[in-house]
Amino acid sequence: MSSRLTARGLTLAYEDRTVVDELDLAIPDGKVTVIVGPNACGKSTTLRALGRLLRPAGGAVLLDGEELAKLPTKRIARSIGLLPQTPVAPEAITVGDLVSRGRQPHQAWWKQWSEEDERAVTDAMERTDVAALADRSVDALSGGQRQRVWIAMALAQETDLLLLDEPTTYLDISHQVEVLDLVRRLNRLRGRTVVLVLHDLNQAARYADHLVAMKAGRVVAEGPPEEVVTAELVRDVFGLESVVVPDPVTGSPLVVPGAPWHAEVVR
Amino acid sequence: MSGTTVVRPAGYGVVRAGRGSFLVHRRSALVAGGLLLLLAAASVAYLCVGERFVGPSEVVRILLGESSPSAFVVAELREPRLVAALAVGAAFGIGGALVQTVARNPLASPDIIGISQGAGVVTVAAMTFGIGSYAALPYLSIAGGVLAAALVYVFAWRGGLHATRFVLIGIGFAIALRSLTTLFMTKGDYLVAQQAQIWMTGSLNGRGWDESAPIRWTLLLMLPAVLWAARAQRTVSLDDDTATALGVRLGRVRLGLVAVGVVLASVATGVAGPVDFVALLAPQIARRMTRTAQIPLLCSALAGAVTVVVADLLARRLLSPVELPVGVLTAAVGAPYLIWLIVRSRTAGGNA
Repeated sequence: MSSRLTARGLTLAYEDRTVVDELDLAIPDGKVTVIVGPNACGKSTTLRALGRLLRPAGGAVLLDGEELAKLPTKRIARSIGLLPQTPVAPEAITVGDLVSRGRQPHQAWWKQWSEEDERAVTDAMERTDVAALADRSVDALSGGQRQRVWIAMALAQETDLLLLDEPTTYLDISHQVEVLDLVRRLNRLRGRTVVLVLHDLNQAARYADHLVAMKAGRVVAEGPPEEVVTAELVRDVFGLESVVVPDPVTGSPLVVPGAPWHAEVVR
Repeated sequence: MSGTTVVRPAGYGVVRAGRGSFLVHRRSALVAGGLLLLLAAASVAYLCVGERFVGPSEVVRILLGESSPSAFVVAELREPRLVAALAVGAAFGIGGALVQTVARNPLASPDIIGISQGAGVVTVAAMTFGIGSYAALPYLSIAGGVLAAALVYVFAWRGGLHATRFVLIGIGFAIALRSLTTLFMTKGDYLVAQQAQIWMTGSLNGRGWDESAPIRWTLLLMLPAVLWAARAQRTVSLDDDTATALGVRLGRVRLGLVAVGVVLASVATGVAGPVDFVALLAPQIARRMTRTAQIPLLCSALAGAVTVVVADLLARRLLSPVELPVGVLTAAVGAPYLIWLIVRSRTAGGNA
């Protein structure tokens, strides 16, 4: 199994608070990797470091064997695309304008728009089904549409690796499924390597080829979802009693939490 | 150039020149054309009006180099001051646009975040110590403005530039520096205080070719930097994480943009004093006209130039023969606008 993107002994800290401690991780090429874990386990922090948004306090993130911190950021941007958790669009920007900014790493001052740019943007917008919205203002879109526009921007960047930080947060269930299906399509049809941070363990188990479970800044388990997701792991990582059954649709593990609280019946 | 074609980024056209290709926002190009016409009309009017009225056609003929009995009044008295007004207005427009872009806040203009005040305190101090020449003062006020900006930048830096911090620290510095200026003015003698007071309001009175030379040279020398900035602005208007993910070296780009903006605003302040609210107003007016996602630089420059030329025209004639400092007029228009901007941003949570 080859990996273009790896972390070696990665330690991450905000000011003097260590969030991730000596983490080793290899992102399998051409697969969908999903990182899960409880709140504040360092999963988003790890993703940010994989996308060089956060400088390691120790260890390194390697892209094709070279340390990210030592590569020119524009060169990284041609290989790794990243969508932050809560991106902010400039006021009144149109959908077409925003998506076209994904071409930034391929452009220069004297080369502001090429046929390649045109093709990539058109393709990204069709793939995410936002072509019809091109002239609309991003402010005026629904949450689901807006998320698709941001993904389109990241796609227009045309990178082999795509990192998405909780792309389903704030979306209702149908939009969540839509976004995750889009991610899988990109992976299956275009061979893109995708890394997602997700909150929902069941969605993670459904869509991941490779699942990484984190707790307190460390990787607790990783591998195919059916091997990783067990009642013991859920208890260990999330502190939750549950029953794991096969998903009736996909057969992937489905976590069903234990019985909800109820008053004891006293005779 | 082989003409423009319609492309994806809605509202843009592509201009190809040799191997290069440039994105042009079509609405901005139209607005720039309109502003240019307006500026030409205002400039001709500026040259016509004065103690003695000279007809527009005669003004145009004088500008084309034909001799005329009014040539002295138009070309020797009014034209140098017009050029100063144009240059100062354009520089304030660009300076304000760049600082607002980096701070992502329409309130962040050089005259709000301490740059004008930095220029002011050094200039007034110099006047107090007997340096009163309009040819020497600009250089001192440039130093003051750049120094104040550097201090604000350093104090607002905390592992990155936080936009709100930048503005609040700037406002703090502005207040501190203003009180320091007042201190110098009360210390100095009566005549110096009066001269300083007029300078502090922003005035183009007595600004000829020599006095406007620093700002004209600065604009010319900074032109490549401004062209770079016009493009670099595009990425800085996105949030930090997204911009970094797109391969933008955010720290450097921001520092570069602020540096260009601060130098232009400081030199303009050095030449004409802090002409209040031009740097604040012009970029916002321009952006409302072009409806672009970032503040349009060329249109900001033109809007700034139009504002200063028209304001100075009114300042010269409104209470003639008394000439008002141009800053009085820009402040009269700018202050209500500032209040409106604050009220609006509180209700709508708007940002630059």
